[in-house]
Amino acid sequence: MTITGEIRSSKRRSGPPRLKITSLEVLCGILVLALLFQSRLVDLLDVPKLRTAATVFVAICVQAMPFLVLGVLISGAIAAFVPASALRRLLPTRTALAVPVAGVAGVALPGCECASVPVAKRLMQQGVAPAVALTFLLAAPAVNPIVLVSTAVAFNDTPMMVVARFVGSLLTAVVMGWLWVRFGKAEWIAERALARMQDHSGTSKWAVFAESARHDLVDAGGFLVLGGLFAAAFKTFVPVAWMQTLGGQLVLGVLVMAFLAVILALCSEADAFVAVAFSALPLLPRLVFLVVGPAVDVKLIALQAGAFGKSFAFRFAPATFVVAILCAVVTGVVLL
Amino acid sequence: MRRETQNILLVLLGGALLKISFSGLYLRYVQKGLLPLLIAAGTIMIGLALFAIIRDIRRGKAVSDDDHEHSHSSRSTWLMLLPVMAVFLISPPALGGDVVSSAADTNQTQRSRNLLGELPSGDVIPLSMTEFVTRTAWDESGTLDGRRVKLTGFLTRAEGDTFVARLAISCCAADARPLKVKLIGDVPSLPDEQWVELTGQVVPKSASEKNSWVPSFTVESSTSVAEPVEPYES
Repeated sequence: MTITGEIRSSKRRSGPPRLKITSLEVLCGILVLALLFQSRLVDLLDVPKLRTAATVFVAICVQAMPFLVLGVLISGAIAAFVPASALRRLLPTRTALAVPVAGVAGVALPGCECASVPVAKRLMQQGVAPAVALTFLLAAPAVNPIVLVSTAVAFNDTPMMVVARFVGSLLTAVVMGWLWVRFGKAEWIAERALARMQDHSGTSKWAVFAESARHDLVDAGGFLVLGGLFAAAFKTFVPVAWMQTLGGQLVLGVLVMAFLAVILALCSEADAFVAVAFSALPLLPRLVFLVVGPAVDVKLIALQAGAFGKSFAFRFAPATFVVAILCAVVTGVVLL
Repeated sequence: MRRETQNILLVLLGGALLKISFSGLYLRYVQKGLLPLLIAAGTIMIGLALFAIIRDIRRGKAVSDDDHEHSHSSRSTWLMLLPVMAVFLISPPALGGDVVSSAADTNQTQRSRNLLGELPSGDVIPLSMTEFVTRTAWDESGTLDGRRVKLTGFLTRAEGDTFVARLAISCCAADARPLKVKLIGDVPSLPDEQWVELTGQVVPKSASEKNSWVPSFTVESSTSVAEPVEPYES
């Protein structure tokens, strides 16, 4: 489905009004039922664990929505105001060279991971090589100034952590970009993600902007909620109390922290405060937590599956997971 | 999913964001500083939907998905209804004792804070739980010993002991870190999760690595209070 198709399509529904059940009627039905059974619903959730899960779920959605909105606005602006040729001129022609440029460009997107998915998808649609867009996708949530400052505040007695996080995340993004150049296949990415924007002359640029943003928001919003559901469930029902026993075991600590980063799906602006709390662990596993989190977590996997298709997400996410752990460990050993 | 339905969902979701923003309920879920972003996000969501609705009306028809190929994500968009219903119908409460008892990192978070100034003078010093725990667990100089302080938090019990606890968040409730203080002396016999204001004194050197840096607090007087508007410390 293209935006322009949506805007321009001029076929009228014909014939007499039909009694057909569409999503609109379904929505009204659900809302009426939900209102009728409201007290039932509330009673059902009156178990401490479920209440906690519901609060965490709403919290993740509420916290992420502004950043998703920022992401779709940027994406809409790129669609409407940045011609593909301008992007091509901005980036080095050789993809292998453009990858690190995209990684550093991530500094300019002040948001968390929810913002970067719609932007990366739009970049691909505007003809930017997938490897370059993916590097941007991985770098932006981890290396922007807001995240670095919050990391510095959290780890105020170990400033090297900020440097290590920056280097580790940038390295992860660039390595993944190069791996995609070498091994990536375009057919893993769902066709809809790569479909070029059609020429949109005739519609005003503002209309293109608003329609693209609206379309991306509707597209990604559901997947964000899905990610929030998973994260809330994991956060509430996976016991983390045994974490403290990991103390001395470095290898296990690294693996467990990487795993936790994936299932907790914390916003990259907040994860440093959580990492600092794992004070029983040495710095290296906590660095792994900070590098893996913004690159791959359940919320992000859901968003990626929505934007680029399942067959992409199921290859890209595990690969990123491994690369992020390796990059974090290498950076940590050198810098910390 | 039809375009009209998508628009209605966007209006509902944006409305939910605005509702929790203006009613102050957002403080149950996220940190105070996010308020302008929440209002902006809610307004933009509604704006984008209204723009589409008005365009459709002006053209005298709605472009529906019947007219072109089905959107791949039409089913996932339905999920956007979940936070809407959660906010409008259930309105989940602020996190409480359940998180305190299941978390491993009680009071650990304060180790790297090093921002302590002078204590205010006065007979009873109101302190945030964060500052109290930081001063008792991480400050060797014992600045609180012999001082009378007032703490605000909710009660929680474990293994026969009563604690006063509070959660601190840095972004949203998903990253909540519990702070807790063990109560001795005139321990209030109120139910769990009841918010209280406690006046009393710290037991010097009671926080150690062995008890996960949970200090003990001798309660002299207590009053039950309503849950504060801002349930979390930041």
